[in-house]
Amino acid sequence: MPADVDMKKDEEEKPKPPPTPLQEIKANVGLIERAVSSIEPRFAHRALRTMAALRKRLDDTVLRNAVEDVYPKESLAKESLLSWLPAASSQATTTTEAMEVDATKTDASAQTAEPIPEVDIYLRLLMMHFFTATSETHRKALELGHQTVEKMQALNRRSMDPIAAKVWYALERTYEVAAELADARPLFLAAQRTAALRRDDETQASLINRLLRSYLQYSLYDQADKLISKTTFPATAGNPQFARYHYYLGRIKAVQLNYSDAHANLQQAIRRAPTAKLAPGFYQAVHKLFVVVELLMGDIPDRSLFRHPVLEKALTAYFEIVKAVRTGSLSQFQTTLAKHASQFEADKTITLIVRLRQNVIKTGIRRLSLSYSRISLRDICVKLHLDSEEDAEYIVGKAIRDGVIEGRIVHSQGWMECGSQKSGYGPEVADVFSRRIGYCLELHNQSVKAMRFPLNAHRKELAAAEGAREREKELAKEIQEGELDEEDMGDGF
Amino acid sequence: MSLKSQYTDLKAAFAAQDLPKTGKLLTQLKLGLIQAGLLLPQGDLNPSDLSVARDILETGAFWSIRSQDVPSFDRYFSQLQTFYTDYSNLPRSKNEFAIRGLHLIRLLTQNRIADFHTALESLPADALESPFIAHPVNLERWLMEGSYAKVWGARAEAPAAEYGYFVDSLMGTIRNEIASCEEAAYDSLPLKDASTLLFFTNQSELLVFAQKRGWLVDLSSSTITFDKKGEESTEIPKEKLIAASLMYARELEQIV
Repeated sequence: MPADVDMKKDEEEKPKPPPTPLQEIKANVGLIERAVSSIEPRFAHRALRTMAALRKRLDDTVLRNAVEDVYPKESLAKESLLSWLPAASSQATTTTEAMEVDATKTDASAQTAEPIPEVDIYLRLLMMHFFTATSETHRKALELGHQTVEKMQALNRRSMDPIAAKVWYALERTYEVAAELADARPLFLAAQRTAALRRDDETQASLINRLLRSYLQYSLYDQADKLISKTTFPATAGNPQFARYHYYLGRIKAVQLNYSDAHANLQQAIRRAPTAKLAPGFYQAVHKLFVVVELLMGDIPDRSLFRHPVLEKALTAYFEIVKAVRTGSLSQFQTTLAKHASQFEADKTITLIVRLRQNVIKTGIRRLSLSYSRISLRDICVKLHLDSEEDAEYIVGKAIRDGVIEGRIVHSQGWMECGSQKSGYGPEVADVFSRRIGYCLELHNQSVKAMRFPLNAHRKELAAAEGAREREKELAKEIQEGELDEEDMGDGF
Repeated sequence: MSLKSQYTDLKAAFAAQDLPKTGKLLTQLKLGLIQAGLLLPQGDLNPSDLSVARDILETGAFWSIRSQDVPSFDRYFSQLQTFYTDYSNLPRSKNEFAIRGLHLIRLLTQNRIADFHTALESLPADALESPFIAHPVNLERWLMEGSYAKVWGARAEAPAAEYGYFVDSLMGTIRNEIASCEEAAYDSLPLKDASTLLFFTNQSELLVFAQKRGWLVDLSSSTITFDKKGEESTEIPKEKLIAASLMYARELEQIV
């Protein structure tokens, strides 16, 4: 793995790419310092946004150099950070020197003061991500994570929240890669309570998602549901956290058969998620669930969804299921289910898909009721591959009661008479209409809420307004004087 | 009396189907478990102690069903969940699936389908192969698609004796389901066919049932006629529409 990272870096080094990882780290450190000094979390967010790309380009020389450059010559914190990194190997020294030359050039003013704690935590975060990437250093990542978390909680600085939220994510990742996610739960729960008490919204949002993920990983839907009912997800949380939260919520609601809520939540998750190209994994996972939930609601997903370049391949199995449900063929449904069972199991959607069986039957009956005005129960039984005529009678009865079809059973003759289809106009149309409008209005409201403004920007406007008022006063005065002048002049005439 | 001897007594009493004695022993044993910190275990404890505690609680769960005390079963089940999920390193109890299956059936009889699926989801992947779990899962599937005849037929296939205790209430649920389907799907039905559809063996039971649901029974022609209630109620939901329009107006006001 380190070799791989090195190679990647070398490749990128050759055409002289814009910033080297080291430069990028240092630029980010600058941003974080600015964020703290100006109390503007958006700078910290900007620094953290590069994390995903930066993470892949890290290696120990880069980290070592970053630490060396950011800290003053003699510093305890520096020593403790460096002790985590392996001693620079002879192989890497050549690049190190080259980098160092590069670094000293850009960073002429040598660091004299101890950097702010946020920067320290940021560097630790980078190191955690680096250690998590290789399996040999997992232990180290865990230890470092615990130490960092303790340090963070002792410092208790609100300006650290955006970085803290990411540290929790990194810690969860480490636990998950080591397949020990369950062990982290008490730690997360305690931290979540602390974050709630300190009104640390970003950490709280991150931790709620961490906990939900850990519960769902072990299929503990009951606990996850209780967690949701006992906590309020902070409204100021960022879009990515919201997207995750909605996805978990959708998943839980789907398991509890609350499909319309699940559908709404998944729709939100899709809308708030980063674009398909940036986060294809999440995009695919949400859509898989979305397709199944839509089917369970009795709707058929859009055909265009399955032609989407990111989704096309990932959703092939789901596409086949959709086709089976649409045609109402129980045998086709069963063969598709058997064929892709392993994939559905891996996606954890198998239990939901098994529930589709009744939808398949309902669609089948609806198709029959559309094409026949009278059909014998025996024929229904044969066409839908049901086991017995008795079953067919009960199933048709249930379909009529649930309003799937309009019709009657004539028991003495053993047939089903299908009533005329209702015309498409009625209160249901209003319902559908209001559902759509509701979605649009919510979209609008959420977009308004999601707008972010720089914290102190209105000060400038206030100052400008103050100036304008002054000017206005002066103008008014002048006009008054002018009028007087005019009057004077008028009098003169 | 030490816990050990009480435990052997409990086993003997339960095997002898001595329900009152089992109940008494269970109360004493639970007190003992609390003192030993095993009723709601926390932290690392001796695995053999834990499995004894689990065994006692499982016996308690079976005992509650045999003495038809469902709330007590619920209590035992929630205590057992700690053992099943948090101490998964213990060797799996042979009764685990039976108890979980009973819990599923219980949720089914109460028509708590959402809880049923939540409970089902938390089961390990291999659970579905166990007959104890497969039975309630099949029942649920048949109930949902409407294959009531299969549910009726499955009564005899219960994998454990305790499942039988839930059958009666389950049958009550099914009968009500079928009855509501019949009201919608038939105009009239001969008495004889109605009793086969509702799984009644004699006519008097059917008549009592019909009276409860308010069906018109014509004894001379021996048919049941179903009232067509709610026939084509095309009333426009005025209040709902007004409320919706007002909401749109308010929201639009906010946007503009």
